[in-house]
Amino acid sequence: MQGIAGRIAAVGAGLRQYRRGTSPLPERGVLIGAILDACEDAGLDPSEIDGFASYGDDHNEPVRLMPDLGIKDLRWCSSVFGGGGGGIAGAVGQAAGAILTGQATAVVVYRALVQSNSGRLSEAVMAHHLNSHMIGAGLVSPAQMCAVRANRMFEYYGVPKQTAEDVVRACYYHGANNPAAVTYGKEFSHEAYERSRYIAEPFHLQDCSRENDGAGALLLVSAERARDLKKKPVYVLGVAQGAARGWGDLLENDDDDQYATVGFKSVAHHLWRQTGLQPADMDVAQIYENFSAQAVASIVDHGFCSWEEAGDFIRFENLIAPGGKLPINTSGGNIGQGFIHGIGMMIECVHQLRGESSNPVPDAKTCLLAGGPGAPIVSSAIFGTKYPD
Amino acid sequence: MVSVTQSGTYQSANEAAIDAAALTSGADRAYFEGLAEGEVRLQVCSGCGKHHWPAVFHCPRCGSWDHSWTSVSPAGVIYSWTRTWHSFAGAEAFKPPFVSLVVSMDEVPSVRLLGVLEGDEQKLAIGAPVTGRAHKITVNGTVIPALAWSLA
Repeated sequence: MQGIAGRIAAVGAGLRQYRRGTSPLPERGVLIGAILDACEDAGLDPSEIDGFASYGDDHNEPVRLMPDLGIKDLRWCSSVFGGGGGGIAGAVGQAAGAILTGQATAVVVYRALVQSNSGRLSEAVMAHHLNSHMIGAGLVSPAQMCAVRANRMFEYYGVPKQTAEDVVRACYYHGANNPAAVTYGKEFSHEAYERSRYIAEPFHLQDCSRENDGAGALLLVSAERARDLKKKPVYVLGVAQGAARGWGDLLENDDDDQYATVGFKSVAHHLWRQTGLQPADMDVAQIYENFSAQAVASIVDHGFCSWEEAGDFIRFENLIAPGGKLPINTSGGNIGQGFIHGIGMMIECVHQLRGESSNPVPDAKTCLLAGGPGAPIVSSAIFGTKYPD
Repeated sequence: MVSVTQSGTYQSANEAAIDAAALTSGADRAYFEGLAEGEVRLQVCSGCGKHHWPAVFHCPRCGSWDHSWTSVSPAGVIYSWTRTWHSFAGAEAFKPPFVSLVVSMDEVPSVRLLGVLEGDEQKLAIGAPVTGRAHKITVNGTVIPALAWSLA
């Protein structure tokens, strides 16, 4: 069967981000702006958009975007199930599926979040999973649920906590160079990291992504159509979403060998198999970090290193552009750049592969997007600068 | 015994009313009914004897739709934990800092149950033995049967 690789291209990217509570427009207005930015970036008339795909329970139904964008013919609307960021890359897969099967021709993957409209993201995410088992144990937030997994990873697998701090430090380091980042110009301080208050052990405040207002949009078309547009196409090389048996919404009863992971056992396997690529082929990676330890586990889940190697591999100098072994979160990621449910990381995949990143990785040809870790459904994608051989 | 009152709530003898909605998150109503009566009851497939947790309607192994619920000793070992310091909306029943546990049950280690830790926290660690008791908490006016654990 013919795969996705090289047949779908990201041709336009738009991102508008504000401090939480300071969005100049209600959520839909901000989203319209980001979509127009993506169209401008691509050189495609917004009226030509005919499909939308999202994730994480975005509240903005595509049909309501039609009047502002002047859309003539809406042919595809979809969203990946789940309240978290686990579905982010899966939305790219849905868009690709729509285009490859002739059901749409220009599909926008999007996510918008303005607190005064949609409330706190953390609460919206939890609304999917909360039940009396969890409430009865006082476990009511993503931070706590991820903290329980992180403690198992640190204590049981002996992964050094330094790995999580180094992920945070790499995010700050990249964010410091990115004028659009919340950590722009700010230096990471070990003392401040340790001094920041505990949220849920082992997480200090600085281990946690913090919500921003804003919206992001990525415009996808066929590789053929991409040739006629303004910028160098960034190809989708592969996408996988799902959950292996023994992972999911299981009341903390995930299989013993998956419990301390972040759920990519099957997804990573399918992604590498689908693309014929390996972790070593990735020039750069955007590793969704809702919380620091979940990014550590995601790096392990995707096969960049084992639990035993994590302490050696997941070190600051390996994680930064331009020369690290695996530069991650080169816009600053959710922690450094800002958190609009992860959509900024998808936009950075395109910026990085076009050479437009604030932290360029020289001659980067491949970029992994590892989706929201620890969610019942997770997904990942690989973007690349050229057709695979 | 737990019985349904006319107002749609569950009324346990000599206990506060428990909202019906709090008693089920799927196929596990009997678990919460058990807790409301002070027992930890787990689901066992009537067809093949397998414990399913989370509870299921249908056994994927033998195809049975019939299940029984058997009491187990409220004892286990800590599988993982977190100590919460932030005041989260919805956790008002507990005063931070408080410890939440995931506990692997002694009689059925494949089943892990959740709950809070009460009492001494000195020996808090993965693998530490704990014993549990059923209690009730109130969240936003809803009474929920739950487990409280103590380190042995």
